[in-house]
Amino acid sequence: MDMIWHTSVFLGKFLYYFLESLFYKIIPKKKKDVAGEIVLITGAGSGLGRLMAIKFASLGAILVLWDINEEGNMETCRMVKEKEGVKAFAYTCDCSNRQEIYRVADQVKKEVGDVTILINNAGVVTGKLFLNTPDDMVERSFLVNALSHVWTYKAFLPAMMKANHGHLVCISSTAGIVGINGLSDYCASKFAAFGFAESLYIELRVLKKSNIKTTIVCPYFIKTGMFDGCTTKYPFLLPILEKEYVAEKVLNAILEEQTYLMMPKFVYFALLLKQILSSNMIFALIEYLGLDTCMASFIGQSKAGEVQTEAERKQL
Amino acid sequence: MAPSVNTAKELSIFLVKAMFAFLEAAIFALIPKPLKNVAGEIVLITGAGSGLGRLLAVQFAHLGSVLVLWDINEEGNEETRRMAWDAGAMTVHAYTCDCGRKEEVYRVANQGSLVSGLCYYHNSLKPQVKKEVGDVSILINNAGIVTGRKFLDCPDELIEKSFDVNFKAHLWTYKAFLPAMIANDHGHLVCISSSAGLIGTNQLADYCASKFAAFGFAESIFLETLAQKQNGIKTTIVCPFFIKTGMFEGCTTSCPFLLPILEPEYAVRKIVDAILQEKMYLYMPKFIYFMVFLKSFLPFKVGILVAEYLRALHFMDSFTGQKKKD
Repeated sequence: MDMIWHTSVFLGKFLYYFLESLFYKIIPKKKKDVAGEIVLITGAGSGLGRLMAIKFASLGAILVLWDINEEGNMETCRMVKEKEGVKAFAYTCDCSNRQEIYRVADQVKKEVGDVTILINNAGVVTGKLFLNTPDDMVERSFLVNALSHVWTYKAFLPAMMKANHGHLVCISSTAGIVGINGLSDYCASKFAAFGFAESLYIELRVLKKSNIKTTIVCPYFIKTGMFDGCTTKYPFLLPILEKEYVAEKVLNAILEEQTYLMMPKFVYFALLLKQILSSNMIFALIEYLGLDTCMASFIGQSKAGEVQTEAERKQL
Repeated sequence: MAPSVNTAKELSIFLVKAMFAFLEAAIFALIPKPLKNVAGEIVLITGAGSGLGRLLAVQFAHLGSVLVLWDINEEGNEETRRMAWDAGAMTVHAYTCDCGRKEEVYRVANQGSLVSGLCYYHNSLKPQVKKEVGDVSILINNAGIVTGRKFLDCPDELIEKSFDVNFKAHLWTYKAFLPAMIANDHGHLVCISSSAGLIGTNQLADYCASKFAAFGFAESIFLETLAQKQNGIKTTIVCPFFIKTGMFEGCTTSCPFLLPILEPEYAVRKIVDAILQEKMYLYMPKFIYFMVFLKSFLPFKVGILVAEYLRALHFMDSFTGQKKKD
């Protein structure tokens, strides 16, 4: 009798949520107001991070910008402050260093306040075959793309939990849900970031912290320079995305409190296919879509190389 | 902007390959794939000192493989060696190794290609003191630890250790052993991930993240071997639900029919079969395939609802973990 009741409640809710999601596919959900929220963006010095900073600034949020590149970060700060009345704080921070993350986080808490929207966006990519990637670069990929999320959560989540108010945004990647040739260290780190964010979301749910939201973003390659040289065979299905488009979609996903965002839409379909098709069929599809050769002419951000040596020189 | 002839040709190639793959999958769904012979293969198992690693070692011993056992726990590893030897292994080499430390992995890996320390030989073979262990042909990354605490209660050092053992060890073992596999165009990379490497789980944030990473890494490397046409190198990624090895002691399942806590013997049998059939993915129990499928298209709220219905969010509530042998 108990089981019948339990199952009925489940089926009822199931139907309700299913209909609700269909409803919101047609009628966009109401966007939340983020004026006055303290938004921290890692990797704000360029690319996607910079664009998101500008967009949040236009919505009246208070910005905390982190990047290892001081010059780029200050430029973002300047661009953000172009609009009147925007409060923005820039901090140079090497997200591969746990102690530095904690130190700068303490500074932020003292100087700005409790971060309410945390956007883990900083990312690096080496783009070589695994055996050609030096160990320290493999480790660096993981430190910046995955472990930095763990430490920023440790730094800022307690305050969010106390207030039962916050939003955790994880910029993962399509490479965080499917492996890609030539991106082994990047994939591993993006998978880890995804799994971590998802786990925490479930943990928060069990702890009944329902006002701490999570958004996990998995974009395909974006035209920010990070993946320069990458190719796509069928731009209709898997385009290399425009960064303005991505930033806008991410912003909307946050404002509508969407949990997963995959871009382009074909990625949803590919993910579904992955669970149904046999491995060999998937590989045939990968070959067809050119995913096995997309990294073949990868150049990447030449600037990133310079930044790294600069940081290393500073350490000497 | 490929000319239409090229596009049509590529599409045809794809459709033919897809159809062939589909038929192959259909056939092998009915008729079990032949099991490959691993007698004489050099099988390296990390975390061989207990649990799943030990059982795998014994299984491969039965199959006549050469065993290389790694574990941080010397006592447990020696016990496994004895058991493997009794089970009929050709030769067994045991090394104490903390897989979480890169330098140690490299050191012990190189050690293995020189004259090794103690090893046992089967009675029928002439004692061969100066025999090289040789190139590892089957690498089973099995070593794993779990902290099982709420994220904010988990000390940073333990989180880092989780990543070091559950994921980074895979990086270093691949670096150590993959080159020879590529040179020989012969090898099998086995990644013991977890169902927690497919779906985020309450109270397992660091474990999940590390298992997700291991999965993504293994999958990526496989695609590298595929793109490089290194067809002799196989990959198997295993994602089991909790197994009764003591590692997840205290965990409960509220739906033992759909998501049972697996018996180790069953898990090992399925894993060995998957390796011998050169299967790419193995999820256990079968319900996990369905869960991952649901996850890929259901709206998130609905997915969570299903999880709550199965009381899947409370597996870890009474977790105690492996009692330390002091």
